[in-house]
Amino acid sequence: MSDSYVIVGDGIAGASAAETLREQAPDAEITVLTDEGESLYNRILIKEYAKGKLPEAPISIHQESWYDEHDVDLRLNTVVVDIDVEGDAVHTHEGETFEYDSLLLAIGGTPQQLPVENADADGIHHFWTFQDARRIKESVEDAENAVIVGAGLLGIDFAAICGAQEVEAKYLMRGDNWWRYALSEEGAEIMHEAMRERGVEPVFDSGVDRFEVDDDGHVEAAVDPNGERYECDFAGVAIGLNFNTELVEATPLELDDGVVVDEFMRTNVDNVFAAGDITTFNDLILGDRAKNGSWGSAKEQGTIAARNMLDYGSEEFRWVSSYSITHFDFPFLSFGHPTLGDDSVEATTAEGEWRRVALKHGKVVGGVLIGDLSPQSAFKQLMREGRDVSDQTEVLMEPGFSVDDLAATTEQ
Amino acid sequence: MSIRETGRRLRLRRTGLIPPDTRVRHYDELSEEAQVLVRELAGRPETAPETGELDDGDVVKFTDYYQVRTR
Repeated sequence: MSDSYVIVGDGIAGASAAETLREQAPDAEITVLTDEGESLYNRILIKEYAKGKLPEAPISIHQESWYDEHDVDLRLNTVVVDIDVEGDAVHTHEGETFEYDSLLLAIGGTPQQLPVENADADGIHHFWTFQDARRIKESVEDAENAVIVGAGLLGIDFAAICGAQEVEAKYLMRGDNWWRYALSEEGAEIMHEAMRERGVEPVFDSGVDRFEVDDDGHVEAAVDPNGERYECDFAGVAIGLNFNTELVEATPLELDDGVVVDEFMRTNVDNVFAAGDITTFNDLILGDRAKNGSWGSAKEQGTIAARNMLDYGSEEFRWVSSYSITHFDFPFLSFGHPTLGDDSVEATTAEGEWRRVALKHGKVVGGVLIGDLSPQSAFKQLMREGRDVSDQTEVLMEPGFSVDDLAATTEQ
Repeated sequence: MSIRETGRRLRLRRTGLIPPDTRVRHYDELSEEAQVLVRELAGRPETAPETGELDDGDVVKFTDYYQVRTR
């Protein structure tokens, strides 16, 4: 009898695991369960659809026929309600039971709702799935003014959508600059100016105290903690994710802001693995537990998980992630863990070009590049090599920096 | 990313038209090598050896949409 693998989640982590399992175990029984109504699509590009820049078709990655052709049993609109790790089975909302030899949880997260009055009113949107993107596109096309909340990598997508759809927007931020945990005011101001050029006005030391709605229950204004009222017929909220851990809370699986896995993507239960946003993983480069929600990281985790489901210990997850913003006429890229570390160095390297590198114990753990992405590979190489650069941090800020610019004495 | 031994050259041409049957890749989906290539060719009248990752007709989303052309 062939081994059976059940994958919960058909995002890039689950789908890359299914692909790898099929490649390496041609006779395996593979089942993919997803609560979404459509198969794998390109989550990076759904913002482009909402901006009105892309049609729907190129966003699909796996047509349903792909699953038939690869002998993968795909179950759409299927909600897993219980995991029985002692009985090696998962149960769905319709009472079906799927037994497994090995289970992969790629169950991701759900956008957080603001804990304020009328946060669930019509016209207030969160952005995670393709269905969200469709609703956002439809809503924003009819909007005249908007409010955006969430001064991070997801919130800026709403700013770009409003800009592209020519909707005037106020971007309400709690601090004094966008993504204040990774950028100084100097770096953030480049982003602020790009927003302003698209009709999106950053509002600092603000936020949302409550939303006001009309008689039909549709949002009509946001009121910030200072009492300022901002009229809006569209609101985009991107304040973070709740990881979908409720499914495993009644199981022996270890949780720590997600499902804890080792460097082989295995949980504390031998035949249960996890991949993607849901994981709190052993980051071998950082030397600590970490989380990462980037596309590349999730894809790699799915692949590594599958290999270790087939042969535990065969391959470690060792990855430097990156995430770019390509909404503007200059590029932006964050890599590694730019909000962590015990030190940092930053510089404006040319007009409109800025970079910041975060360090932990003298080693690069992450950073942000604005305008000039050319040092991206060099910084990632330093992370992978774990080189101590504490006595040469100024070299990291040189335009055209390459690893060869560092003195050989710092090599480990 | 592999370099094809075809002798063909690749360039990126800015495009605003994305037909539904186009394969669209975002910069974040590409390997580091392909990302370097995109950064170097985007918006510039330059070419590079064809890669195994980007095919003729593909579109890459970077700071704009760029269509891959090989010849």
